[in-house]
Amino acid sequence: MQGSEQQDGVIQMNVQFKKGILEICVLVLLVKKDCYGYELVQKISEKVEIAEGSIYPLLRRLTKEGYLTTYLQESTEGPSRKYYKLTELGHAHLQQQLNEWYAFSEAVNQLIKDGENGE
Amino acid sequence: MVNKEQFLRDLDDALKPLSAEEREDIRRDYDEHFVLGKEEGKTEAEIAEALGSPRKIGKEILAVYQVEKAQSKASTGNILRAVWAGIGLGFLNLILVLGPFIALVAVLASGWIAAGSFVLSPLLVLVNAILYPGTFEWFDLFVSVATAGFGLLLGIFMYFLSKGLVWMFVRYLKWNVNLVRGGLSHA
Repeated sequence: MQGSEQQDGVIQMNVQFKKGILEICVLVLLVKKDCYGYELVQKISEKVEIAEGSIYPLLRRLTKEGYLTTYLQESTEGPSRKYYKLTELGHAHLQQQLNEWYAFSEAVNQLIKDGENGE
Repeated sequence: MVNKEQFLRDLDDALKPLSAEEREDIRRDYDEHFVLGKEEGKTEAEIAEALGSPRKIGKEILAVYQVEKAQSKASTGNILRAVWAGIGLGFLNLILVLGPFIALVAVLASGWIAAGSFVLSPLLVLVNAILYPGTFEWFDLFVSVATAGFGLLLGIFMYFLSKGLVWMFVRYLKWNVNLVRGGLSHA
């Protein structure tokens, strides 16, 4: 288990934990607009250190579970790109994940605060 | 230094159990990633490095796939493969998956063996009577017929218990793979 540590502004986290968060990151990025895989990888790895290759299995799973749909779109340069789009089900799933995340982070913050106050 | 060719080959090797169509689909995703990375001026080696181990990626994809398959069709082979995929995700998981699996097999096997031997008990009494005619007692036969009836009931019970336990175990595997993958959804 790696502890949380700050390094070059990139957060390193426990692998398991990170993968759960990764799902939220992907879904939340797709709320604003449809993205292609490479775009998602870049946006996430700017902030969080990940094995970039693990985003694609995640995208496949989310697609299979009906949270995302895909379509191909030609680009001006290079080959056509596979875009991912959030479905209705995906929106609902994200909302649920966010609720869990807020409840969780609030609980942890509370524990930290209590700890620092020596309670 | 790993180049694109080698990365894609290693990944494809790790995905052998998947259909050719699915493997091609996965290959395209990573191919696209390499192309876009190179457009940004990265080398193939840099891109492959950032992607991580193709074998690990393959394992992750396979674990999801095997559990799905076990869910759609709970044959012994499929379940064994899903167990194996679960174990592949880590040593700790060896205990988490193999432990319950052995317990499950033990419970089911002992139940079925008991049911089977109960059902066969009148036969044993008859065989005994043929081999040692002097020892035959009607009482033994009656008891054994009752036992056989009980065995049949136990068999029916075991049938539903097996179905139920296998279903639960598949659910457990799915949950387990989610857990190992670190999904928050079941936290």
